[in-house]
Formats: sequence, C-alpha cells, structure tokens
Amino acid sequence: MVNDEGQLYTIEGVAAGMIMLFTTYLVLGATSVYTPGDTHISDMQLEQIGTDALVMMNTPVNGTVKSNLTEIVETSRINATAADETFNTTFLKYVNERTGSESDNLHYMADVTYRSDLTDNSITSYQLACTHNRIMNAGDHPVRVTEWVIADKQFPGSVNHPRAVLVEVLLWRD
Amino acid sequence: MTDDAGNLSLDFLAGFTIFMVALIYVATLIPGLLIGLESKSIDYDAVAYRTGVILAEDPGMPYNPAWETYSDADKDKALRFGLALSKSTPNVLSAEKINRFFNTTTYNYPDDYHSRAVFGDYPYQFNISLKIDGGENYTLGDTLPDGYGYSRRLVKIKKESTASIDGSQIASYPEFWSHEPNAGNKTAGDPGPTNHSFSVYFNYTGLTTEGPLYNNPAYQIEPIAPLYEGATINLTNLNQTTRYGSGDTIIGDPNINITLTGITITQSVLSPYLHTRSSFATVPVTLDDHLYNVYIDGNATPLNSSASHSVINNVSLVIPHGSVTSGLNFLGGNDPSTYLNVTLLFTLDHGDCFLNSSQATAKDESGAFEYNYTSPFITQPSLKDGVLEVAVW
Repeated sequence: MVNDEGQLYTIEGVAAGMIMLFTTYLVLGATSVYTPGDTHISDMQLEQIGTDALVMMNTPVNGTVKSNLTEIVETSRINATAADETFNTTFLKYVNERTGSESDNLHYMADVTYRSDLTDNSITSYQLACTHNRIMNAGDHPVRVTEWVIADKQFPGSVNHPRAVLVEVLLWRD
Repeated sequence: MTDDAGNLSLDFLAGFTIFMVALIYVATLIPGLLIGLESKSIDYDAVAYRTGVILAEDPGMPYNPAWETYSDADKDKALRFGLALSKSTPNVLSAEKINRFFNTTTYNYPDDYHSRAVFGDYPYQFNISLKIDGGENYTLGDTLPDGYGYSRRLVKIKKESTASIDGSQIASYPEFWSHEPNAGNKTAGDPGPTNHSFSVYFNYTGLTTEGPLYNNPAYQIEPIAPLYEGATINLTNLNQTTRYGSGDTIIGDPNINITLTGITITQSVLSPYLHTRSSFATVPVTLDDHLYNVYIDGNATPLNSSASHSVINNVSLVIPHGSVTSGLNFLGGNDPSTYLNVTLLFTLDHGDCFLNSSQATAKDESGAFEYNYTSPFITQPSLKDGVLEVAVW
C-alpha cells in the first residue's frame, strides 16, 4: 500500500532544489579564484616593465653621452650614496610612470655583479640601490630582471678596458 | 488477485520527471557557472601584450616606403601599425609614426586599429594611450571599464635634428663677407650686393654612414628612406651684419630692410660646390610650396614661400618628415650618393651690409653650411622618455 510516510512532498522538493541551485549559482558567481595562470600574467607584466625600465636607462639620450645606467654603475664604485639616489629616482620614475594621473606603486632591490678577478673567474656582488624605507619581506612576490652594462672604468682591469657588468633587479608590487 | 504493490505512483512520476528536467537543466548550466573560476582577463592580457609588442617593437608594414607616409587616400595600404623607428631599435619610437597612428581622423576606431594592431576574430574594445615627457599626451579608443587586459611599455621617442644659426655664426667667420660669391668688388667703399643667399647642404653619404654610436638609427640624421626624417633650419639675428671697414665687427642695424625673395632646392651627385652660382650645375628639385613651411619672425602661421616676404630678424624653414618622396632621389628619396642644397635668397636695401650668410670659408669657397653630425649649430637627434599603455576588453 502506498502512503506518504517518509516521503518529501513534491512541491517542497522542487522549491528546495531551486533554492540550492540558486545559492550555488550566487556563490560561484561571486567567487574569483586566483589561478596559477593569473599569477603568471602579473609576473610577466612586472618583468616586462622592469626589463623596459633597465633598457631605457641603458639607452643614451643622444649620440654623444653615456647612458644613465652606465653612469650610475660607474659612479657606484666611487660614490655609492650618489649612485643609490640617482638609480632610485630614475628607476622608480620609469617603473611607476603611467599615462593617467595615478602612478603605480612598485618596489625594487638592485645589485651589481661583476667578475672581480680576471684570472680565477671569481665574482663579486654589491647592492646598488633599493626602494627607500621599504625592504623586501617574506610576503612579497618579486620577479627578477637583468641588464648587461658596459662600464669602461672603476672595475678590475685597465682603464679604457670595457667591462661587462650585470645589473640585477628584484621588483615587486605592494 | 491484483493490488497496487510495485506500481509507480503518480506523485513519484511527477516528482521524478521534474527532477530529471532540473538535472538536465543544471548539467547544461554548470559550464557557465564554472566560467567564474577561470580568469576572464587571461585572453585580454595576452591580446594587450601582443598589441603592446607590435606597437613598441615593430616599425609596421610596409616598412619601406613606410606605412605612415601614405596619404589619406592610400591609407588602406598600411597593413600593420607599428611605432618603432626600425626593427633594430625596439622601444625607440618615431614621432611621425605616432602622429599618424593617433590621427583618428584618418584611421577609424575600432575597425582600422583592430585589423592593423589588435588583430583577432573577437571584436575587442580597447584603449591605447601614450604619454611623452614634456606634456604631450595621445589617446584613442573607449573609456576604460572596471576590468580589462593590460600592457605597459616604456619607450623613448626620437626628436629630429634642428639647425639654429645665429649671430655667433658670423662671429665664427668674421671675414665671411669677403668670401661670399656675390660679395661685389671686395674693396673699401664698395656698396656690395643687394642680393644675398644662405645655403645649407645635406651630404647623404655622410649622414647615412657616419652616425654616432655605430650609426644607430636612433641617433642618425636620416632624411632619406626608410626614415624620411625632416629638417628644420632656423636663421636668427638676420639683422646683424658686418660692414667693410668696420673691423668686421658685428653690428645690429635697426634700419635694414630684409626681404626673403625665394627658396631653391637643388640636388647634385658630383659637385662639391653647393652655393648658388652660375657655374654650379644643379638640378632643381620639383618641390611644391606646400611641402615645406616658412615661418618668419616667430609667426606661428606658415607663409606661402613663392612670394616675397619682409623679414626683421629670423626665418625658419621646416621641411616636414617625408615631404619629398615619390620617385625623387633627394630628401626623402632613396639615393644616398646625393647632395641636397637648400638656398634661401634675400635682398637688402642697404647694399653695404652683409647678411648673416652661410659657412663661407676660404678653404673650399663653397659658401654652404653643412648639415652634419659635428656642427655646433646643429642640435643632434635626441630621445625623450614616454610610456605606452594598451588596455583591451
């Protein structure tokens, strides 16, 4: 014999199903998941900006002067503070510049690496500059960009002996 | 005996049917629901990146003759936009390409830009903007929505060279008057000529092979293809003169009346003598007046150069980018083994005055000022910073 014990009435079942479906739809629609693909995109954009900034700093303004980056790297061997100031001002101007009124908010830490001994291939690094009052901490997610600079003095080797020096920058966004 | 055991009730049947319909409906809905889990901006970011690369690193197609040199009537011959000066100078942009690209009177948003810079089958909307140090801003496209794909490129923009010749040029050559081809008898008391000329010449071989930094196009003065750069010649202090017997001192004569009577542009492949003189076998360049502009005494409105104009102090001759092209082997042409001579003709009502003339020297008596990389009177090409942003949605 058929009776209604233990059964859900049809109309209540339909209503409950609809409510569950609608709730699921709302939850999924309102949630955005930060996928690995998204991380890659923002990393790539940061790398692009950092690389462009170093390339532009290493491009002379006209045909008779050295590039800004070359001047800074050479200065850093004799006046580290002045080099830090100049690099900080110039690099942040480049990476934070936008076409609108709001600028970006990127931070960086820059090192210089060079071959310190011409006979045994040993390598030396030192910090060139970093964002003032903002050090990198564990929560930051930096990208790495580099640029080779030809410096013709202040590094091991004879004067007027061009040397390849690597400028390496870690760049991140708040 | 029959009873109703094992039969389906009508309630169950109705409920099961509704459930199955709902299930099928949900199954078809799930892919749409899961779209929220994907990044909507992935494709937009990729398209923005691609567009940014095309604009910043590619000179466009066709390259020679360059797409930006086509007239409005031939604008469809531009197949791909690109703002880079050349393939060997990524991120160094051409000012002329920028002007042409952001001219939305010639090219229509979005269709012309979609088919030449953004590409793809999807009808993307986009906004492209460029900001140059010094205050110049360019933009095209729609207003930005809340979410969009984005790419930012840091660039430099090449600023073309300019010749600025003033009274100091006279001081450099205090006896220049005596070498001027039309200087009269060169004797004391000689009233001198009333007709004077100022000549500038471009040696294409030198300009295209002796550029700084290994002839880098970013720093070259290149009036010929494919860059077709223009030139600006500013003559100032024209009322400063020297007078025979005055010790070659420079004097400013407020009463002198100067008239610009004409401009001639000639080419020569062989002759090093470039001043306008009867023995110089020149080939006149058929250059329409509208292809170059003359500005007198700082007036912002260019004048019709075929007529005579009174001058007080200065004259600027602007030969725009790519103004002389079609089939001619000189400024804007393709033959690097050519000299181009530009001569401005003046008359003075004081015959004993000598106009600020050209770089006349006893050495070659050419009397022409060379537009080159070493002259202190020429501001060499330089690069200005800029930032290019592409947003796609």
